[in-house]
Amino acid sequence: MLSHLRGTFCVLSAGVQRAWSSSSCLFMDPSSPGLVLQSQSTDVFQNLALEDWIDAHVDLQQRSILLLWRNRPTVVIGRHQNPWAECNLPAMRSAQVPVARRRSGGGTVYHDLGNLNLTFFASKKAYDRRRNLKVVTDALRRVRPQLDIQATDRLDILLNGRYKISGTASRLSRKSSYHHCTLLHSADRSAIAVLLRPSCPGIRSNATPSIPSPVTNLTDHAPSLQWEELLEAVVQQYSSEFGLTSSSQCVDPADEALFPGVGSMEAELRGWQWTFGKTPKFSVETQLELRDERPAARCSAQLQLEVKNGRVESCRVEVPATWLPERLSASLAQALLGERFCPHRAAAALSALLRCESGPLHSRLRNLCDVLVAAMG
Amino acid sequence: MAMRAALRCLSVNFSPRLPQLSSAAQVSATRLLCRSGAPRTLSTTSGQCTALKFTEKHEWVLVESGIGTVGISNYAQEALGDVVYCGLPEVGQKLEQLDECGALESVKAASELYSPLTGEVTAINTELAENPGLVNKSCYADGWLIKMTIERPEELDRLMDQPAYDKFIKSLEE
Repeated sequence: MLSHLRGTFCVLSAGVQRAWSSSSCLFMDPSSPGLVLQSQSTDVFQNLALEDWIDAHVDLQQRSILLLWRNRPTVVIGRHQNPWAECNLPAMRSAQVPVARRRSGGGTVYHDLGNLNLTFFASKKAYDRRRNLKVVTDALRRVRPQLDIQATDRLDILLNGRYKISGTASRLSRKSSYHHCTLLHSADRSAIAVLLRPSCPGIRSNATPSIPSPVTNLTDHAPSLQWEELLEAVVQQYSSEFGLTSSSQCVDPADEALFPGVGSMEAELRGWQWTFGKTPKFSVETQLELRDERPAARCSAQLQLEVKNGRVESCRVEVPATWLPERLSASLAQALLGERFCPHRAAAALSALLRCESGPLHSRLRNLCDVLVAAMG
Repeated sequence: MAMRAALRCLSVNFSPRLPQLSSAAQVSATRLLCRSGAPRTLSTTSGQCTALKFTEKHEWVLVESGIGTVGISNYAQEALGDVVYCGLPEVGQKLEQLDECGALESVKAASELYSPLTGEVTAINTELAENPGLVNKSCYADGWLIKMTIERPEELDRLMDQPAYDKFIKSLEE
């Protein structure tokens, strides 16, 4: 089904798909001030890597590029955000929805195949987000003039003055810029509600927060709007605005021959170090509810953690001494130091301790371990 | 000295269309940056302090006792808009000149930071975590970004001095 979707995504314009032998053929056509590309991939890491590759390797001083792409279900956080604060990582693990950190700023978004991503590449001088968004709003007004579509000061696009159908983020690098935005055609809104909530309570952080907004799909208001029709409208509007004559071209972002080095860019984006290790320092302060085998026996404890570069930098577990000897809760806290802030790593680190302790305190200790692990997202 | 410092702080908020600081005012800005703690009258210690140097990426470097303090220029902070987050390198991180070493996020974009020199990060401005707007309000003083060692002094020699940087900015605006 995926390949069928990919085929559909690329069959758009009348342009013949050429086998590009090298990126220089693709990007160096002197007759055209720009280019429209469509990614064949629905893998967020491949697509983000392609953005990075174009930004790093293509001379954008005299030309602009529009890249159109979409992803299988993914949550994408901004450059300086905290994934534990922004999305429900345990739920995402169950649903096999990955989290990706992009290099641009801004907030968290949910991507699926009903969401169109547009990346506008330009030189830093030509960086003009309003002009880019006008391409989108003009395209929408052309195909569905009855829709009330407006770009706001924050560079969101709203439908009916209320519902967000597009959010924007961008990156400025050495000589070039990219501005990308989402466009909700037919995304699964119920997934947004479930997945875009914190992984665990008690997070305190100065990472950039998201600003939640009510969203809607274009197809909720214009049910006849087909995906291909939307793409065609955007491509035509971009071509007309930026003075292009050529039609859009399909590219495979995993093609190392066409984009040398893109594979290692993808690996970096996919890696733990970038996704989680780049999280700004944060703390977790929360109350833990403890119990043992006897139903009526309960106790509250306090957890205080500092997480730096995605790892536990300090940890304090305050359990009443009547529940568990201090030496046990202290050694649990000690065992977490330096570990990734991650339930699997925590469970592994704590299981060693559990094995050492038998006797009447074992069930309380095990409960404390379980509760600690659950507090780690 | 305090009055000049106050005036200097005010001036960084003006739009770049206003005339650049007079060289006298710029020299006093350098003196202000050279002193730690409260501004004092300039003493005649030699070899301790150099004038501001600038990169084409609109970063400034000020060297004192072999350590370079790095920040972004007024032109850069104006272009960035309100900074909402400073993503800085780690203390101890080794940087080559032009390495990507972080990003400043503003309402306009996430702008990559490039190391102006080769060296090791010795300090980062921890005030910016709570108060990233210092980069806009006080880009030459309280809004400094990192301090680093200078492994290759010749790199410093190749950076622009104030007059060259002023000329460079003018050429961009044309």
